[in-house]
Amino acid sequence: MHSLIQLSIVVLLLPLLSFVILIFFNRRLPRRGDFIGVGILGTAFGISAYIFWSVIVQTYDPAFRIAWDFTWIDLGNVPGVGPLQIKMGIVIDNLTAIMLAMVTLISLLVHLYSTGYMAGDKNYGRYFAFLGIFTFSMLGIVLSDNLFAIYIFWELVGLSSYLLIGFFFEKDSAADAQKKAFLANRVGDIGMWLGILILYSQFHTFSFEQIYANLAAGKFALSNAWLTAAGILLFMGCVGKSAQFPLHIWLPDAMEGPTPVSALIHAATMVAAGVYFVARIFVMLTPDALHVIAFIGACTAFMAATIAITQNDIKRVLAYSTVSQLGYMVLGLGVGAYSASLFHLVTHAFFKACLFLGSGAIIHAMHHEQDMRWMGGLRKHMPWTFATFTLATLALAGLPLTSGFLSKDAILAGAIGFAKVEGGGIFYLIPVLGFFSAMLTAFYMGRQIWLVFFGESRTHLKPADNHHADHHAHDNHAVHGDDHHADHGVHEVSWNMRAPLVILAALSVFAVYSPDPLDGAKGWFMKMIPTPATVVGEANPQKGALLAATPAPHLAGIVSPSEVVASHPAAEPVAEEHGVASAAAGHGEEKGGHVYSDPRQAEIVHAGHAAHYTAIYISSIMVVLGIGMAFVVYVFRIIDPEKTAQAIRPLYLFSLNKWYWDEIYEATFIKGSIVLSKILSWFDTNVVDGIVNGVALLVRKFAFANNSFDKYVVDGMVNFTAFTVNTTGAVLRKLQTGKVQTYVAMLILAIFGYFVFYFTRLIY
Amino acid sequence: MEQLTTIGLNHYLTISAILLSLGLFAVMTRKNAIVVLMGVELILNAANINFLAFSKYNGGMEGVMFALFVIVIAAAEAAIALAIVINIFKIFKSVDVSSIDSMKE
Repeated sequence: MHSLIQLSIVVLLLPLLSFVILIFFNRRLPRRGDFIGVGILGTAFGISAYIFWSVIVQTYDPAFRIAWDFTWIDLGNVPGVGPLQIKMGIVIDNLTAIMLAMVTLISLLVHLYSTGYMAGDKNYGRYFAFLGIFTFSMLGIVLSDNLFAIYIFWELVGLSSYLLIGFFFEKDSAADAQKKAFLANRVGDIGMWLGILILYSQFHTFSFEQIYANLAAGKFALSNAWLTAAGILLFMGCVGKSAQFPLHIWLPDAMEGPTPVSALIHAATMVAAGVYFVARIFVMLTPDALHVIAFIGACTAFMAATIAITQNDIKRVLAYSTVSQLGYMVLGLGVGAYSASLFHLVTHAFFKACLFLGSGAIIHAMHHEQDMRWMGGLRKHMPWTFATFTLATLALAGLPLTSGFLSKDAILAGAIGFAKVEGGGIFYLIPVLGFFSAMLTAFYMGRQIWLVFFGESRTHLKPADNHHADHHAHDNHAVHGDDHHADHGVHEVSWNMRAPLVILAALSVFAVYSPDPLDGAKGWFMKMIPTPATVVGEANPQKGALLAATPAPHLAGIVSPSEVVASHPAAEPVAEEHGVASAAAGHGEEKGGHVYSDPRQAEIVHAGHAAHYTAIYISSIMVVLGIGMAFVVYVFRIIDPEKTAQAIRPLYLFSLNKWYWDEIYEATFIKGSIVLSKILSWFDTNVVDGIVNGVALLVRKFAFANNSFDKYVVDGMVNFTAFTVNTTGAVLRKLQTGKVQTYVAMLILAIFGYFVFYFTRLIY
Repeated sequence: MEQLTTIGLNHYLTISAILLSLGLFAVMTRKNAIVVLMGVELILNAANINFLAFSKYNGGMEGVMFALFVIVIAAAEAAIALAIVINIFKIFKSVDVSSIDSMKE
């Protein structure tokens, strides 16, 4: 076993250890054992950082991959199924190493932050235990090398998110939110499991490596439609976990959980798991499945962005922005911008965690006021939070010099390239929606920054009666009962809440990922996570020929000369080399560039590179437009937001009410299930119960008949026998007088009788 | 007439029948247990007469042997029966067979 594998197992098990210790012993430990959670996560992060260092920094090989597995359950040859052997294993490649470091880092920061944010909560120790099991589940997904193990950890993530979202379960809204999250996830997981079964039925293995090897060897016996279906079904798991349209409804409600939990679940781990999973199955997705994924991602990104612009709850804005950004990632995977999408996953994890923790700090400082309308002017009181929050906001909006710019731009460039390759038409909808969402993102984040940090404090504007009701609705303090209510001064948070903000904000700067503030492809990340070769490549000779015929002359001018397309005539695979300038075509493979077996994919990646500057221009314009609009509306107040809202009231309400998705689900699925359950209830009471009662009645009747038979016939016979014997006895007892002479008389009578009988016989 | 004057088997049998009837009568009607025992002796002797009469007219000695046995057994029986009667008297202070019915039912 490779030493890195051993270390990764230690990393995986450490949070579980934290969970076990804290769930059983937190009440017996000083400080409810929070130092154990933080310490264990610190250790896990240290080991993960070492793995990251060894894999990414020292090895620096895009094809790095080590794996180890063992047979977990061997059921032998199961009739009707074939050999059934379930293996567990760990695979470490560049993506795993990056995700390990990211998850443990953010989990560590959230642990640290929570020591401040959750201080005084009555279930303080249990909270840290839940964080531990959550981190364990997420690390399991990251490390697993097969679908079965991923599914197990997938469900564990679902469970632990259920526990964390409903942490304040005394509140009905939190209990409802946790149920909603769990159920929405279950819907996706069913699809995912069906997808796993389709693949298992074909290859009798859960291992990614073996499935892909089999697919590449063309051993998939069913038609391609089945493969597409398997891809889309597996993607359903992602739809649930990553809150994609139409199962996005759980994520905003999940804001009922403690704010650090939102940072952990909705920035770095659970929602990232869906995207990570799609990345793992990326190579087996057919072009049709990818189209579906791209459109769902684009719809999600756009829809969530339009909702976010009218929300007033600071966490809800961030929640919808998360949904929107996840839409980007899924869109990126769908259009084939694999590296860009995962890049965005990581950058988003850091700046969104920063935003959530920052909003937590604001909520903490504002005594659990979450409504942005009554904030304002916090810049002076909370300089640290203001600085980090603003930096993360700029990254989210996608301003140059931030990490978000690099990754979002790469995705949008990929989307343009994809639309070009697919031949335009409806496929241009995807980049258009993407750019439009980018503008909306800039707008609503500008609005948020302004409402929260600038202007004058509007706390006093809050309607008094409303204040009271609202206060209780959002009040987590009532649950953890500390004494902040007496002191209404806004203050900066303590160091253990400030440090995570600073670290996360620092990780939102472009320099961490790429030396070039305008091009993420020059950074280490995109080099370490190359787009893998698909195993279901649609052998489309026409497109291959197209690419070969036009090696993108106009692009070569725009893109740096390092982009060299090695294109041999039609049938040859296209070799593409990154990084080294003036590489000859034939050197592509030797110098560590990789070969795309699928011309379509190569073409998309290439067109994406080509569209890089186009994307930069458009997205910069969009971002400036968005922020500018926010300024026009909220800073200069040239356009009054209230009047505008009145002017376009239907649209405003449409957005404010979240596209009425909750109402639609209420009217269809929930009402539908209630009606169905009523019908079933009627059926149950009348038909099923009728049958049962009928049977019971029959049995009763039969039992009564049986009883009567018993009583009158059987008992009658027994009693009659007894009666007969009794009567006979009563008669015969008279004969026994006890007097010798009577007996003698009877004796003689008998002898006489015998003689009479005997002689009568003798005569006749 | 000759039939009557010459003593034959029928005479013996008649005497025997009379004796038996008298014995039965005594056994069934007398209340004194000792008289009942005497009736039993009469019955035994009626049987003896039959044995001897049949023995005489049959020519064998078996009847005589049986009669001797009966006499011996009758003696034994009388001894035991008198002992029983004495014991009954000790318990019931009476030898009235009609009043001794404790074996009833």
